[in-house]
Parts: sequence; C-alpha cells; structure tokens
Amino acid sequence: MKKFVSAFIWIAIAVTGAGALAAIALQRNERISATWFVVAAVCFYLVAYRFYAAFLAAKMVALDDTRATPAERNDDGRDFVATNKWVLFGHHFAAIAGPGPLVGPTLAAQFGYLPGTLWLIAGAAFAGCVQDFVILFCSIRRNGKSLGEMARDEVGKRGGFIAQLAVLAILIILLGVVALVVVNALKTSPWATFTLAMTIPIALLMGVYLRYWRPGRVLEASVIGLALVMFVVVAGQWVAESASWAGVFTLSGVALAYWIIAYGFAASALPVWLLLAPRDYLSAFIKAGAIFSLAAGILIVRPEIQMPALTKFVDGSGPVFAGKIFPFCFITIACGAISGFHSLISSGTTPKMIQREGHARFIGYGAMLLESFVGVMAMVAACAMQPGVYFAINSPAGVVGATPEGVAATISGWGYQLDPQTMINMAHAVGEQTLFNRAGGAPSLAVGMAQIFSSTIGGERLMSIWYHFAIMFEALFILTVLDAGTRVGRFMVQEMGGRVWKPFAQTSWMPSVVISSAFVVGAWGYFLYQGVIDPFGGINSLWPLFGIANQLLAAVALVVATTILLKMGRLKWIFVTVVPMAWLITVTMTASWQKIFSDNARIGFLSGAKALKAQIAAGKIPAAKITEIQRTIFNLRMDTVVTAVLAAMILVLVAEALFRWTAILTKRSEAVLHETPYVATQWVAGAEGD
Amino acid sequence: MRGAWRKLPGMARRFWMQLREWCGDASYERYLRAAHRKNAANLATPEQFYIEQLERRYSKPNRCC
Repeated sequence: MKKFVSAFIWIAIAVTGAGALAAIALQRNERISATWFVVAAVCFYLVAYRFYAAFLAAKMVALDDTRATPAERNDDGRDFVATNKWVLFGHHFAAIAGPGPLVGPTLAAQFGYLPGTLWLIAGAAFAGCVQDFVILFCSIRRNGKSLGEMARDEVGKRGGFIAQLAVLAILIILLGVVALVVVNALKTSPWATFTLAMTIPIALLMGVYLRYWRPGRVLEASVIGLALVMFVVVAGQWVAESASWAGVFTLSGVALAYWIIAYGFAASALPVWLLLAPRDYLSAFIKAGAIFSLAAGILIVRPEIQMPALTKFVDGSGPVFAGKIFPFCFITIACGAISGFHSLISSGTTPKMIQREGHARFIGYGAMLLESFVGVMAMVAACAMQPGVYFAINSPAGVVGATPEGVAATISGWGYQLDPQTMINMAHAVGEQTLFNRAGGAPSLAVGMAQIFSSTIGGERLMSIWYHFAIMFEALFILTVLDAGTRVGRFMVQEMGGRVWKPFAQTSWMPSVVISSAFVVGAWGYFLYQGVIDPFGGINSLWPLFGIANQLLAAVALVVATTILLKMGRLKWIFVTVVPMAWLITVTMTASWQKIFSDNARIGFLSGAKALKAQIAAGKIPAAKITEIQRTIFNLRMDTVVTAVLAAMILVLVAEALFRWTAILTKRSEAVLHETPYVATQWVAGAEGD
Repeated sequence: MRGAWRKLPGMARRFWMQLREWCGDASYERYLRAAHRKNAANLATPEQFYIEQLERRYSKPNRCC
C-alpha cells in the first residue's frame, strides 16, 4: 500500500512538472505566469534528485556509509571536521553560489525565456549536479584531494598541470568580468557607489571587532555589520540628493575601474582578518537573505512573463552579446547549469567536512539544484520586465545609440515597443540618473528584483531603496569573489614562482606578497580596463571568454571523473559523465572557433580587429580616437590568443585522457585507483550531529 | 498542537546551533571538542585559532563564480 501511495505521488509530481514545462515551452503570443517556471523547476528537481541522483549514488559510485570519511580519519577540529549535513549543505551552497547564476541567465534572456530556462533546469540535473556530486565523491575517497591532485594522480602529470593552469586562467578572466559587472552597475550612480564604498569601513570595523574585541564571534559582528549596511543603503539617497556629495561619488567607468583595481590589490595584500573575511561574512548573510526573499517575492507576486519564448536574436544578432543560440546560450548561462569552478569547492573544503558518504548526494547534487533554481529566478526577474526596457538597459551605446530617442527608435524597430519616457520614469523611480546602456546584467536584474520586492512591500515608494539594496547585494558579493579570488590567485602565483626561486613561495614574505598581488591584480585589471573602454560595453567579448574558461574547467573535471569511473569498472554507466563532457567540449570548441574566426565582426575577435583597422585606413575614425581604437585592436588580438590557449589546453587534455582510456579498456595498462584504503567507520548513525 | 508547542524550544535551539555552525561562530568550540577528544596539549587561544583558521580558508578557492 505504502509503495502504491509513493508511486502515485511521484507520478503526480512528474506529470505536474511535465505539464508546467509544456506550458512554458508551448505557450505563444500569450503571457504566462512565473508560477509555471517555479512549478516546472521544482518538480523536475524533485524527480531528478529522487531517481537520477539515487541511481548515481547507488549504481554509479556506490556510496558506502560504512566507510570512514576524511573527517573521521583525520578529525583535527580545523580542516577535517565532521559537520551536520544541513550545515554543510549551507556551507557548500554559500561557496558555489556566486554572481554567475544571476548574471548569466539575465544576459541569456536576450534569446527569450525558453532556451535559457530549459538549459538551466536540464543542464543542472544532467551535467552540473553530476559533476559536483561525482567530484565530491572522488575527493572523499581520496582523503579530500583537490581536482589538480586527482587529475595528476589519475589522468597524468599533464592533466594536473592543465587543471592548475585552467584554474588560474579562469580566475583571472572571471575576476576581470565580474569587476566589469560592478563597474557597469555603479558608474554615474552616486547612491550605489556610496553604499558600496561604505561597506569597506563597515568590513574593517567588523574585522577589528572579530580580531581584538570578540575573537571569532561572527554572529555578533555580522548583526552589527548588517544593521550598518542597511543604514548606508538608505543613507545613499541623501548622498545622491546632496549637491556637494553627489559629485564626489559620481564616477566614470574608468575611474571606478582604477578604484576597484586598487581595492583588489589592498584586499589581497592586507591581513585576511581585516577586510576579506568580515566582508565574506557580511556577504554570506545578505546573499542568503536576498535569494530567499527573491524566491518568496516571486511566489507571492507571481509576475507575468513579458519576454517572448524566443526572440529574433536567436540568429546571432543580439544587442546584449553577439552569437547564435548554439553555442552562446550555453556559454552565457554557465554557472546556473554547470560550472567548472564548483569542482574546486567539491574537492576543497566540503569533502573534508562530510560526515558520511551517503550525504554526498544531498550536498553535491542537491546544492547544485538549488543554484540552478537561483538561475531560474534570475531568468524570471529579467523576463518579467518589458522586453523593450530589458534591451534598453542591457544594450551598449555602440549598438543602440546613446540618446533616449535613438535607443527607443532602435529597440522599437526590433518589434519591442519602447517609449523614452518609460525609461526616464523608471530611472527616476529607482533613484538613478539613467538606466540606458547599463550592460552587464546587474542593473536589469536589480530593476527586476526591485519590481518584485516593491510589489510585495512598500510599493512605488520603496522602489529606489529595493533597487539599491539589490545593486548593493550583487556588488557586495561580487567584490567578495574579487577579494577571495585575488588572494587565491596570489597564492597560486607564489607557489609557481617558488618552483623557480624558493623564497618567493613564502606567503608572508612582503616582496613576494606585493609582486604576486600586483601580477594577479594587473592581469584581471587588464581585462577590466579592456571591458570598460570597449565601445560594445565589454560584456560582448568578455562574458563569452569567461564562459569558455569556466566550461573548459568543467570539461577538465568531467574528464577526471570519467577516468576514475572507468578505473572503477563502471563502463556500463559511463554515459553519465561522458555525455555532458562531450557536450561541453563541443560547446566550448565551437564557441572558441567562432570567437576567433567568425566573419561577423561582432563575434570574431580577428574580424573585429580587421574591421576596426579598415576603418582607420579609410579615415573613418577621428584622429582623437585613433589611439583608443588601436588599443581595442590590440585587446581583440589578445583575446584571440587567450581563447586559442584555452582551446589548446582542452584538446591536449582530451587527447591524453583518450590515450589513457584506450589503454585501460584494452588492458594495455593496469587501472590503478589512488583511493585511500577502506577503513570502517566507528561512528554510530545518529551521533556527531546527524 | 500542544506537542508541537513543546517541541518548539528544542527546534529553536537546534536552529540556533546550526546557524552558529554555518557562519563559523562555533568553530572554536568545535576545535576545543576535537582537541579534548584527542587529549591535545598546547591549545590555541580563540584569537590564534581565529586568525589561523582564516589564513587556511582563504588560501584555497572557497568562493565560486
């Protein structure tokens, strides 16, 4: 009887999910409610978790709860600490959820709501969650080893080296791109700039509190920090309205870029307790609060989706970024469906804290499902606004023009009606001077969130507060990624430099700290500056570059996972990692090829450089702009080299892996697994925080 | 209804403990418990433990994109 009821419930969930997905996919010329998105996503996740994840856990990797995990073997109260599965789920989710699942879907909304939503839901269930879960499992069985170490042990030395290089490359490109998102969100906005600037002294105050007054009392310090942040969000309005102060905090894109570069250097070189850690605490609380509030807001308001299922821009002519739906929709969504960076978290802290192997399914697979849901909510927030408004905010001046009338005429010409007055009223409602040409995804997401929040609490009156809260939330945790990423990059450079000259590896030696920090900040600062001066807004060239690097790292992780599963003799089920891996390689290589060689000057770096050179030769560029354009030509060529190197790295790794797999399958080489030997757990179920 | 009311303090206490674990507020207490289990000598002070913990945490990728 119990079995019958269970089967009935799961059939009902599956049918409801399929019905909701059909409603999303088949609805044309009629607006649909965001509720369908939530229902479709949740039902799909439930079925995927109950059946596919259970299959992976039982058949594919055979999780074993009788086996002691690294936390039990090494229990040191520091790195290796058995942690309650709900707490560890929270840790893992806070670590994997960054700006990617918010910005990526917002940008991909230019293709319409359908392709992005389908990829967010299905991509997560069949690729992203699989990667996170299998890598977590592999690391648990190897005493918490990192992805690079596992690649070196299981695939080969070159695999390990490529993984390490890929991590550094993705870090640098990622930091440049996310910094650009912050610049585009803050430029010419004194309110937003003031609010974000004030989070620095607030973090410093928290740092001193946690270091000297009440060591380690994170909750107390966070409550104080949160109260102050809320105050500065409101106080930002007074600054913006003050004739004297508004000028101080109204900065151009280039000025903001220099400030952020200086900030990144300081955060990397300063003691970690002073700025980085307190900002991270603050960011974690605000991130959790904002994400849950957005989910609640969508459920309460149930906004109507205004964006069509598919737009005309599936042909590659999109104003937000150029490129056809394949491969650029997948490259752009990136983290919301699958992110290579997650494999670093799944082989970082989490495997050292997991209490039982059985928890890997909930933490590895489940946390990624939740991240995908964040992506779906971002898609809803972007698509709930009028398409004309969405394109006006996200399109660079180089594509749609710089005057309100020009932008409105261009966008209306595409079939998305836009009245310039609508944009002026909206800018006024959110307390901004203008919302035109704010490429990067953050401002449009903030408008979408503010519309949803203000429909729940406060109405029009609080619209500007909600908008700046959303901007502060996005910028705050992007800066956290920037701080933490720069510091990690610094450690990696110090480690690599230490191989050449040993003293350089000393992480507390000041000359090494300064040189390595300057190197990392200089590298991502280069990409940031390139994006800021780009006439097409920077996102058009940099976000795909970030997507390629990110998906490349995911392909590396899936190659490692496939090799380990082959060695474990799981040939029968190998499709679970091979299919997403093959898909990612196809997407990454196609995108790389098009970004380098496409004849379309907005897509191909080389043709873009050629077109600009031809314009200079034809005398179409004013003399004052020639230096700037020559710099853009150099940047496009540099992007070509970076993309080619990334593509070459994946080709080398795949060749090496194919060689290794053939040797294993033909029994030419022994399938040696580098697992730690089995040790039975001494912990009784229910103890240690279960 | 009365049963649920009686369970409330226990649930609130568990939530509070898990929140402290999640944000790192209880890290030092956890370290002391582990040290006690192993009869470790030369325990770190709260301040030393806090700094050492942060140095370790932020030397590896711990925040994603």
